[in-house]
Parts: sequence; structure tokens; C-alpha cells
Amino acid sequence: MPKTTQFHAYHAGHAKMTDFAGYEMPLWYSSTLDEHMAVRNSSGVFDVSHMGRFVVSGEPAGAFIEGLVPTQVQKQAVGKAFYTLLLDERAGILDDLIVLRLDEAKFMLVVNAANAAADLSHIQARSPPQGVRVDDTTGSSAMVAVQGPSAQSIMQPYTELDLGQLKRLRCAETKVMGQRSIISRTGYTGEDGFEVIVLDATNESPGRAMEFWEKITAASKPCGLGARDSLRLEAGLPLYGSDMDGTTNPFQADLGWVVSSAKTGYVGCDALWELKSSGPEVIRRGVVSDRGIPRHGFVVKAGSEQIGTVTSGTFSPILSKGIALCRLRNEGTEPGATVTIAMRDSEQGGKTVRPPFYDESIYGWKRHGKGN
Amino acid sequence: MDVQGYEIRDDLLYTKEHEWAKVVGADVRVGVTDYAAKTLNDVVYVSPPKVSTEVAQFKFIGTVESIKAVSELYSPVSGTVTKVNAELESHPELVNKSPYGEGWLIEVNATDFGPESKRLLDAARYATHLRAILPKS
Repeated sequence: MPKTTQFHAYHAGHAKMTDFAGYEMPLWYSSTLDEHMAVRNSSGVFDVSHMGRFVVSGEPAGAFIEGLVPTQVQKQAVGKAFYTLLLDERAGILDDLIVLRLDEAKFMLVVNAANAAADLSHIQARSPPQGVRVDDTTGSSAMVAVQGPSAQSIMQPYTELDLGQLKRLRCAETKVMGQRSIISRTGYTGEDGFEVIVLDATNESPGRAMEFWEKITAASKPCGLGARDSLRLEAGLPLYGSDMDGTTNPFQADLGWVVSSAKTGYVGCDALWELKSSGPEVIRRGVVSDRGIPRHGFVVKAGSEQIGTVTSGTFSPILSKGIALCRLRNEGTEPGATVTIAMRDSEQGGKTVRPPFYDESIYGWKRHGKGN
Repeated sequence: MDVQGYEIRDDLLYTKEHEWAKVVGADVRVGVTDYAAKTLNDVVYVSPPKVSTEVAQFKFIGTVESIKAVSELYSPVSGTVTKVNAELESHPELVNKSPYGEGWLIEVNATDFGPESKRLLDAARYATHLRAILPKS
């Protein structure tokens, strides 16, 4: 039996459902295309309650997490939300995650649903020191992403927090419809928006979480995993399990920016230093195809030579073209390089690009010079 | 006829893979059913076979794609492709809007449609097939 979220009754009545990472989740409500465009042009809301949510707390919590990730943790201000990675000793990526620094000694780790159990084991295997608690709050909270240029005005009525004061990559503990919640200005669509964790909300006793979901889906457009995938791809955001996995290191995943050169002593550090000096032979790159839709596993060539594969691909509603994230040979595939994609029964031309795939002066959170 | 919200036309013949066939003039017109279109959700790209391609009954002839999924097309009839619906190049959404009308895919000069048509499903049998694969409501 797949697991369900707090909003399952709503989804079952409104959406085409799919199994994802052990959960039964909405794939689309009306149309993936409409949901995608709603998020780019106005707003959309996603149930992301399936994502893993671990609270790491206690006085040495910061120092403990410092030993787990390649990003500086204790230097992050309270109220900061940051993207980072969990690595193994060989610097293979175990997961990508968002860390919310809620307080000096309290952090929320938001991880991929498919990896949540393995992540928790990995964290516990690092033997949290005396005074550190690791609590899995996945089942006792709900999580909703409100995304798009209108997200702030859509979300504001449900919280006492002044969202205008919450800058991008910031988070705060607050209330949503009177219920304890955490709001961060983060997301997986490339757009401005919020991720809202409603606490004290189990499936059996969700408190006001369901009422919040019903109200916000009436004010905005409910979106399924189909649009979530096309939006993140169009924004050039990698998906764990497709664009990276345990065999990929951060440099190959084009996520070298999360690796701080100012720290040592975390899992994978020694391996990373060695990798850093040599540079990656393969790297994640964006590709736009002239015709056809690149899909996972398609071979990418330069002339007749294979130079990589498509790790995830879709149709971009903004470009009306096929787009892909690919794992390509680093050398010779810099943005602007011409490639060929071997599709099912034809070969199509394409060009490497630096994502996002859309024009950032028109779409995405940076539009209108809103660099907050 | 309507099976759980999916339209089935009485004047068409069907494959189990949800293509339809209909004699139009000297050729057989081919498309996908309302069920196929709705299941794919938004059709964003169609790759039909080119004009003059030889196609064989129940053999792969191309794909219809939505944002998330790729659906394979199998020809309901053997013969030579004589026409491809060029409108779908710029308006693939016609497959969703009008799967039995403007969203048709190709026309085939059939070599053996008499005997081959007996291997296709009529509307009643396609409805039975659809009911069998749909979740009980």
C-alpha cells in the first residue's frame, strides 16, 4: 500500500494519481501544460508533503551538520535557507537537500522522499553527539509549495508573517491559519514562491492543514508532479535519481558552488579535494533540441562520437521545444556547442546552453529586477 | 458511445493499443482514440511516419508525446502512407481537442484492408476492451 499525504482525499477527488517514491501523489489535476503556465504567469500550489523533513536540534546541532555537508553551516545566519548535498566518503552524492536554520541550535533538513530513509540512516550513522536530537517530522507535518510571480499575494492572507519582509532563501517560524508553521522563500520551479511546512499535522489529525490546502487551491491552481518536473527542468534544476546519483560527484553535477573551500572535516571532503584539482571529465549541461523531445537515456553525440546521455528531458512550454539536462563530456561542450541527439528513429540537432532555459528577464524569480 | 467519460465513435475500427481507422475515399485514415489522448494529457509533440513510408498492421509507426510521457503508435492497417496531418506540427493539441476529427494522424493507401479490418475491433468490442482496462468506478 503506497503512503498518502494529509491532502489525499482532495487529490483523489480532483487529480490523476501516480505512485512516486512510495507515495500516491497527484500527477496532474486538469492539464500539466496549464499548471506549468499558471506557475510561470501567476501562481500554482503543490502538495510536497512526501518530502522528508528532519529536525536536528540541540546545542551542538550546527557543528554536527557541519560534518555532514560541504557547505558552511554555522556561518549561516538564523533565518537562512540553503541548498546543499549529502555525500559519501568518495564524494558521491547521496542526496540534495534544503537546510533551514530556524534558530542557533535548530535546523530543518528537507530531503527527497525517495532518499529519506537512507538519509536518516546516514545521519544517524554519524553518531550525533550528546545533546543533539534528530527527529523525523515527515509524518507529523504537511508541506505545500506556493510558486509563481503572484505567490506572495496568494499566500499572505493565511499567515501573520509579513511575507514582503521574507527575502529569497530565508525562512521563519510563524503560524498559518493559526497553526504552528515554517515558511521559507524557496522552491523547485525557478519562480518566486514559498514552501510552507504546517506542523502538528498528521494524516489522522491534520488540524487546519486541510482547510489551508482547500482555501489556497481555491485561490490558486493546484499542480501535480508532472508540472513540478517540467518546471524544475525548464529552470535547469537537477533531479536526484535522474540527473545525479551516488556515482556522481558535485563537480560532475555542476554543483561545485555548494562546496566551500574554507572548510574541511566533513564526509567526502578528502575525495572532493582530489577531484577539485583534476576537474570533472563529464559534467551536467543543458541542451535545447531543434526538433523532437529528448528523453532519459537518449545518446548525445558530436559528429559520430558519443559524448554523453540525456539524464532528463521534456517539452518546454515556454520555448515550445524539447529541452534536456545531460551528462556530457566536459571538454568541447561549453554553452553554445552543437550536438546531435539520437532519438528513437531519427537524429536531431541541438545546442548546449547554461540553464535556466527561459529568458530570465521575462520568467523566473529574477524578473522585474526582483533580486531579493 | 461513452465509456467512463471516453468517447467511442460507432463508425470507426479500433486497435487494442487505442488507434482508430476509417475509410476516407481510397485511403484509410488513422488516429488515436479519445482515451489515448486523455490518458496522455496534453499532447505536445507528434512524430508520425513520413509520406511514402511502408507501414504494416500492428507495427510501430511513430510516437505521440505529452510533457511527461511518450505513447507509441501502431498502425491499424498495412500499406503506404499517402498523407500526414501537417497541422499537428504546429498544433499538436488538436489530438486532444479533436482526436477523431482534426487531430487525425495519417492516411494510408491500404494493401489488404478487407482481411485486415477483421482483425480490428468494432466500437462495441473496443468499448468492452476499454472497460476491462479501466479501474472500476
